Amino acid sequence: MEAEQLVADLFRQEYGRLLAALTRLLGPQQLSLAEDVVQDALIAAMDAWRFELPRDPRAWILAAAKRRAIDHLRRIKRLGALQAQLEVEHALAPAEQLASQLALMFAVCDERLSPATHTTLILHFVSGLSSAEIAQAFLVDVATIERRLHRGRARLRALGELQHAPGALPSVLQALYLLFNEGYHGSDHPLRPLLCEEALALVERVLDHGPEVHALAALFCFHAARLSTRLDEQGVFVPLAEQDRGRWDRALVERGVWHLGQSTHGELTRWHLEAGIAFEHACAPSLQETNWERIVELYDALYAELPSAVIALNRALAIGELRGAAAGLALARGLDKELAGYPFLFGALADLARRASRLEEARGFYERALTLARSPAERTSFERRLAALLS
Amino acid sequence: MAKFMFVFRGGRMGQLSPSEMQAQTERWRDWSRKLIAEKRHFGGQPLENSGKTVRGSDRLVTDGPYAESKDLVTGAMLIEAASLDEAVTIAMECPIYRYDGAVEVRPVIDFEI
Repeated sequence: MEAEQLVADLFRQEYGRLLAALTRLLGPQQLSLAEDVVQDALIAAMDAWRFELPRDPRAWILAAAKRRAIDHLRRIKRLGALQAQLEVEHALAPAEQLASQLALMFAVCDERLSPATHTTLILHFVSGLSSAEIAQAFLVDVATIERRLHRGRARLRALGELQHAPGALPSVLQALYLLFNEGYHGSDHPLRPLLCEEALALVERVLDHGPEVHALAALFCFHAARLSTRLDEQGVFVPLAEQDRGRWDRALVERGVWHLGQSTHGELTRWHLEAGIAFEHACAPSLQETNWERIVELYDALYAELPSAVIALNRALAIGELRGAAAGLALARGLDKELAGYPFLFGALADLARRASRLEEARGFYERALTLARSPAERTSFERRLAALLS
Repeated sequence: MAKFMFVFRGGRMGQLSPSEMQAQTERWRDWSRKLIAEKRHFGGQPLENSGKTVRGSDRLVTDGPYAESKDLVTGAMLIEAASLDEAVTIAMECPIYRYDGAVEVRPVIDFEI
């Protein structure tokens, strides 16, 4: 009997979990060996599953990785067969895999590396994202990511064991934020729920590191509550205004509210502000009844803390709701240099221009968005809006 | 309906990201399932890279199948098609070409002349 289908993101998830577990078992100086073991096990799966799937694909990959790891461990540590087997069984047990992911996350945030390198290393080694996927998440080119991975590998190998690097928390939270985002609007797949689930599971394991961790967990909960309504049956993005709010996951919203309550003592961080914005959306009964005034205030504070073009764009959209599309359009238009390659900018500009009755301008923006669209879901979503405009 | 053997050569790549590996696995599964649904295919067999070769009258045993990786046989599959042309058309949809692989389409000799 074979499995009905492959869980989306299974290879990526197993890559991260197994690599973290094996790096902890073999030691960071054996990083390349651990990477080879995991890569080999996944290639074996890819070859073996061409004509049918095993009954339990996850267990199949785990068994393949164990077999390979035992051979290497015996050689490196000069262990007997039974002892090597027991050590590998222990290291690759599910709870240990998660513990290893956390240990690796905090260890790669070495103070001699930049915060951008920390998050790159976490996304690659702990979450199994490729250089291309990480480049997409950072909005930078692949060569930059490769350079960061190269530096990070060298640093990791030099560490004798996986130690908790001081001051690692901000980088860890940033990496989990990017991981969640990649799941929320990914580069090749429009939606990767497993990435979001994993980011939430990991963040909820480090809650004792400070109130801002609760704020990030709250943000994930509010966004995750809306996940199932972001795509329609054809896999096309549904704009916020048209999402079926009745299908938002109330239990996740409640969990978010609980996290938000736990986050209030201590310093106000960007995660608090973003969670506050997501809270307003998650609790609003409709787009019109959303507290746009409060959301604009939160974006003002967020932009003051973190002046990025993407935040400026979201702020412009909120102002477009509060004071009218023309006001939003005037603000968003100034971002076309910094965000020249960002399809959502032109989609947003087009929507604002359409609502401000500047139809010719809207059409030009939709066409520009179409040339930049990264996935069929993005493309179809822009095509539909363009077709609606022309009809 | 005649029988054909598809012999898969190459198409194995080491430097794929986990997501690319999964995507390729899914392409193979979709293709294979489609052939099963059309009742053309009776099961494929994936092969490991390693093995032994026995050769000659003194049964000399050597390690490995000895082939360049692009020529290495990585699997085989028996299918049914009306003609060689149709079998070739089916082979065109195989996902193996994406990573430098080839499909040899060989008619199986009909036992009942």
